Amino acid sequence: MIDRQKIEDFLYQEARLLDQPDLDTWMTLFTDDGVYWIPGKENQTDPLNHISHVYDDRVMMEIRRRNFVHPRSASKDWNVRCSHIIGNIRANEVTEPAGAIEVTSNQHVVVWYRDEQRVYAYRGIHVLIPADDSFKIRSKRVNLINAEAPQQSLTIYL
Amino acid sequence: MQRIPDRNFDGLVTPTKLHRSLYTDPDIFELEMQRIWGQAWIFIGHDSQVPNPGDYFTTNINHNIPVVMIRDKDHRVHVLHNRCGHKGAKVVEARSGNVRGALRCSYHGWSYRFDGSILKIPNEAGYEGTGFDAKDPCYSMQPLAQVQAYRGFVFATLSPNAPDLETWMGGARECFDNLCDRAPEGEVEVAGGVLRYEHACNWKFILENLNDTMHPMVVHESIVKAAEQYIATLPADAAKERSEAEIIPPFGASYENFENSGITGFDFGHHYDGGKTSIHADYSVDPDYHGAMLAAYGEDRTREIYAFNTHNVCFYPSLTIKCAIQNIRVIRPISVDRFIVETWSFRLKGAPDSMLQRTLLYSRLINSSMGMVGPDDLEVYRRTQEGLASPSNDWVEFHRQYGRDTELDDRIIGGGTSDLDMRTQYKAWKGYMDGSLFAQYAAGS
Repeated sequence: MIDRQKIEDFLYQEARLLDQPDLDTWMTLFTDDGVYWIPGKENQTDPLNHISHVYDDRVMMEIRRRNFVHPRSASKDWNVRCSHIIGNIRANEVTEPAGAIEVTSNQHVVVWYRDEQRVYAYRGIHVLIPADDSFKIRSKRVNLINAEAPQQSLTIYL
Repeated sequence: MQRIPDRNFDGLVTPTKLHRSLYTDPDIFELEMQRIWGQAWIFIGHDSQVPNPGDYFTTNINHNIPVVMIRDKDHRVHVLHNRCGHKGAKVVEARSGNVRGALRCSYHGWSYRFDGSILKIPNEAGYEGTGFDAKDPCYSMQPLAQVQAYRGFVFATLSPNAPDLETWMGGARECFDNLCDRAPEGEVEVAGGVLRYEHACNWKFILENLNDTMHPMVVHESIVKAAEQYIATLPADAAKERSEAEIIPPFGASYENFENSGITGFDFGHHYDGGKTSIHADYSVDPDYHGAMLAAYGEDRTREIYAFNTHNVCFYPSLTIKCAIQNIRVIRPISVDRFIVETWSFRLKGAPDSMLQRTLLYSRLINSSMGMVGPDDLEVYRRTQEGLASPSNDWVEFHRQYGRDTELDDRIIGGGTSDLDMRTQYKAWKGYMDGSLFAQYAAGS
């Protein structure tokens, strides 16, 4: 039985951490083998044999969150603030891994960076594992609607 | 055509400094598009992007001139102006694909063979007796002035006076050889798609940065430190054999390390750092790959191929390649303060998939707009673009180790932390801009 309210609460909690942003807490939402993926093209099936914008496991998240606050990273001198709006949430139980729930959502993210305001739009696919009356993220896939377009620097997870 | 006032180039570029207007003046940008991008051999694509007859790939050869690379039924690769001979519409709009039969304009239906010649004009009777001649090449999709390939890398030039491609590449073509020889089958092919990265600054900054070895330990200090800090949290017996652990730390290599890698410059502005060693020299060798290399080349030749290790090889002005990584970056200017970088990755034919996966890991980690190296490079380019608006000093200097470069027959070599790369590319910049660079070849044509 899928508890939609719990799933929505979890997505909003994640979005809030990215909005602030608080990457240290955000990455604790992932399972130890969790991955975060922004594919480089529509309908990409393979993260290793085709280019992606980002494909991070926990180790890369550990490095990225430290780099994000490092005083000697010039691109991080500019604060980044985000506003996620989440809609069109659908949830289905899946068998791989056992007990997991696949959640799809549409996410619009307004990003403030370098005195500019930009909009990203993506279809998110979260694979969530029930844990402690909430969830852990086994994988988060960010399908940007403009994945193939020239991109500007992005210093934050979406 | 737009009439652009000419310049006194001796007054803009000296052996040790250049004028800030090179980065900020829109008229100079337009002149660069005509005289550098309009004369030099420009990288169009790799022939593996168009493996079958009718396969095409489109790009611009400078900031706005559209071209299409297409393979014909005899398997020859052409680079054509992407302009209908009739009203001028672009004939091919998609970035890549396959056309069956003929190229067809979407406006009035004129169709063309894959070599650009006219195949059919609808309702052609209306032209009878009008003086129109369908065989006049001006009504075809015209080929570029010259098109040549080296080991599958296709270049074209808008200039009939450019020397042949191999002459133009000079000794730097050894780097294409090294890239391809790293494949057990001696060939590479484009694989794994492309990243496009928009840069809000002048196009020359990235070429200057490629072999600027005084910047990595400053600009990329944070990623090296972040990785070190994380590794320090791991228990002593934790597995640390990850490719990232080989890719990231060399960005923090010492001045001495970079000095020892050396810089080599060539005619026409090409340059690379490394050779005997580079920041990619200490990568581990995949045992399956090594086995395939030994089987193909034998021990001595395999070691020789590995031993030539460059960092970035710049084919001025449109291309930079990484032989040891097997990726390339393609530069396309848009305006005086905007350009696009494309990162393409290559498969070494006959090598295990792990090699392509490492190439893609590198592209993603370092060259992506969401990577941990590229955005810091772009940030300092943008600060330079903005800082150069200041009238406090009209000049940008590049004195490092000036007077200590060594001239050999076909190249100039110098210290790895020298500004030899700057001297090399701006000598070519001036030669293109004042018309002297190809003058000897024009006289002979």
